[in-house]
Amino acid sequence: MRWVLFLALFFLPALGQEGPPPDLSPEVFRIARELRCPVCQGESAAESNSGVAVEMRRIIAEMLQEGKTEEEIKAFFVDRYGEWILYNPPRRGVTLWAWVLPAVALILLALGLFAYFRPKKVPKELLEEAERRLKEP
Amino acid sequence: MRAWLWILLVVALGGLFFWGMQRNPKDLPSVLAKERRPAPDFALPVLPPYRAEWGETFRLSDHLGKRPIILNFWASWCYPACYEEAPVLEAAWRTYKERVLFLGVNTQDKEPEALKFIAQFGLTFPQLFDPRGRVGVDYGMYGVPETFFIDGEGRVLARHAGAIDQATLEKYLKEALP
Repeated sequence: MRWVLFLALFFLPALGQEGPPPDLSPEVFRIARELRCPVCQGESAAESNSGVAVEMRRIIAEMLQEGKTEEEIKAFFVDRYGEWILYNPPRRGVTLWAWVLPAVALILLALGLFAYFRPKKVPKELLEEAERRLKEP
Repeated sequence: MRAWLWILLVVALGGLFFWGMQRNPKDLPSVLAKERRPAPDFALPVLPPYRAEWGETFRLSDHLGKRPIILNFWASWCYPACYEEAPVLEAAWRTYKERVLFLGVNTQDKEPEALKFIAQFGLTFPQLFDPRGRVGVDYGMYGVPETFFIDGEGRVLARHAGAIDQATLEKYLKEALP
């Protein structure tokens, strides 16, 4: 029981911070999370409180209200900032490698491990020799 | 044979790593300048000291295609970069005002602070007010200060991120002027 209380003490504040402030819909933050904040390092437009990220969220909210789709909203930002603004690199051209290489590396690793641990055939002469020595007094 | 393959792999990875280290993370591409796109239009309120000469609202398209335009995004909280470049811009404006239009966009700022900044440097080229920073997004701006050079045909020629010095400004001006 005490443990439950202890854990609750730690995790409840985190849960309380989940979800966006009430003025913007969660949909806005879902889209903003896939866009880079231009002035930050390693933060998305959903997390940052910098002026430009706040403005980006406002633009997303406005565009959603106008009935724009997620793709249209992303295209709006790509048109202005280039594909750099997307957190996930596009699955084509040079950045396709970023998606393909991990899978290729995993396959190569699996093949390597298989080759290394595969039970090896012991030559017949060696087996006979071993048996002969076992029988020796 | 196999040893050579390993050496080749290590060299290739090392080369990739070295190439990555040589790249400047601050070197951010401008889609507008790269494709020489027409400058995105906007209409912004003019800050009070400039209203007598430039009116209440400034629409960029009224001025595009007539002469080159230098569009400078700044904020009073952007210290020291914006404070460094303000005198440089003002001096260049006084030299080139007959041939080039200089335009300041105060972005994500408060009006009293912006006015204090303007008074401090005695800026005489028109200053517009964009507290939300909406125009900055249209220009693919990363952060203040940033300066866009628009040629006489209304196309974005170049973008300079960070405080601009006189030599760089002159270089771009020569490019923009026929």
